[in-house]
Amino acid sequence: MTHTEHDHDHNEHDHPHAEINQTEKPTYYDMLETAIRELLIERKLFEADEIRRQIEVLDSRTPALGAKVVARAWIDPNFRKRLLANGRTACEEDFGITFYDDTELIVLENTDKVHNLIVCTLCSCYPRPVLGLPPDWYKLKPYRARAVSEPRKVLAEFGTTIPDDVEVRVSDSTAMVRYLVLPKRPKGTETFTEEELADLVTRDAMIGVVEPKLENGSAAHV
Amino acid sequence: MTARPAPKSLQIVSAFGEAPIFKAGDEVRIADRMPVGHYRVPRYLRKKIGRVEAVVEPAFVDNEEEGYGRNAGSRRHYYRIAFPMIELWPDYTGSPKDGLRIEVFESWIERV
Amino acid sequence: MSDSSELVIRLPNDIGGMPADPINPIDHDLAPWEKRCHALADVLDFHKIINTEEKRCGVEALGAEMIGKLSYYERWIVAFSNILLRKGILTPTDIALKMKEVAARYS
Repeated sequence: MTHTEHDHDHNEHDHPHAEINQTEKPTYYDMLETAIRELLIERKLFEADEIRRQIEVLDSRTPALGAKVVARAWIDPNFRKRLLANGRTACEEDFGITFYDDTELIVLENTDKVHNLIVCTLCSCYPRPVLGLPPDWYKLKPYRARAVSEPRKVLAEFGTTIPDDVEVRVSDSTAMVRYLVLPKRPKGTETFTEEELADLVTRDAMIGVVEPKLENGSAAHV
Repeated sequence: MTARPAPKSLQIVSAFGEAPIFKAGDEVRIADRMPVGHYRVPRYLRKKIGRVEAVVEPAFVDNEEEGYGRNAGSRRHYYRIAFPMIELWPDYTGSPKDGLRIEVFESWIERV
Repeated sequence: MSDSSELVIRLPNDIGGMPADPINPIDHDLAPWEKRCHALADVLDFHKIINTEEKRCGVEALGAEMIGKLSYYERWIVAFSNILLRKGILTPTDIALKMKEVAARYS
């Protein structure tokens, strides 16, 4: 998992139990996970290899993958069109991204008229096949409760101000559809390569809480 | 549905639930229900009026039934529905242009 | 005390639009058991032993107090245990004895 780009509270956990000292006896929940997993494997309901493989699957999905998709959409109008028409098939066909959780993907394009923001108020639905696992703040009450009812205040807390003549459009995931925000390509990046563009795209920009900025990670060009 | 329309002479009849009941542009109301148990329609949507933006394909199992281990059975459509924020939150203080999109299963949707 | 039916009607995870604190943009690297727990959830869903929606339903069934006090993956593994017991796939004795066996590895 990547850490938040924000520079406060890196060490604060959503729960004190998250502090784990590997030299000590595992927590109750850690041992419960081991017990359940081993019991189910002993009963031949699945194999140990399936868990190992799925950990590899999870590790292979990071925001860098989503950033590649966004950068491709910025430079290739044909891909962008297919991505907006069907996010899942475009990601499958051009990047080999598998939708292991059997979700569909709607890609939401930010424009001069619309700024998109994604949330899951009921749980923690997130485009995991493309972005990996969500950050803690996405799963906690303040974001889930407020993103649907006061999105502009939430955006302001991420340092993002959207003009009043631009629609803020919140997508709340409830079923088998997941969302990915396609941010606006920053001005001044006309000469950038696809790879350099991908470096500008952060996880938070693909959730929609920030906009990609030139100064964030484009040191080579500054 | 993206399938090409069949010639009229064939008179193909689809099964209940196969074809979506609503279409993009329809004005709809989310049912006002207070069920016991698992649901996937947040409270803030109940009784609210919105507009169908798109039919989500393919048809899918009701996730409220799936919550109790029914992995197959009657499939219906989900709809992506658009609501103005001011419809959901009468005291909304952002721009009047702001809106929300959400997927709702067919069984929760009523025609206005 | 106010009308108790609200406790029945509103699921503890249905929080959209409720008053809440400012966003604290925190994150943490998953502990090894948390990542295993996530992989377990996916594998349970692949085999439809416990599908994703049953997991959500099982977390809600823990009730507001446990949802408030347990961390994300703590809620998941307790929900899985309850569902496996309810489905008759595991028995309370199975889990109790296996947990003793696991704990003994660290004593």
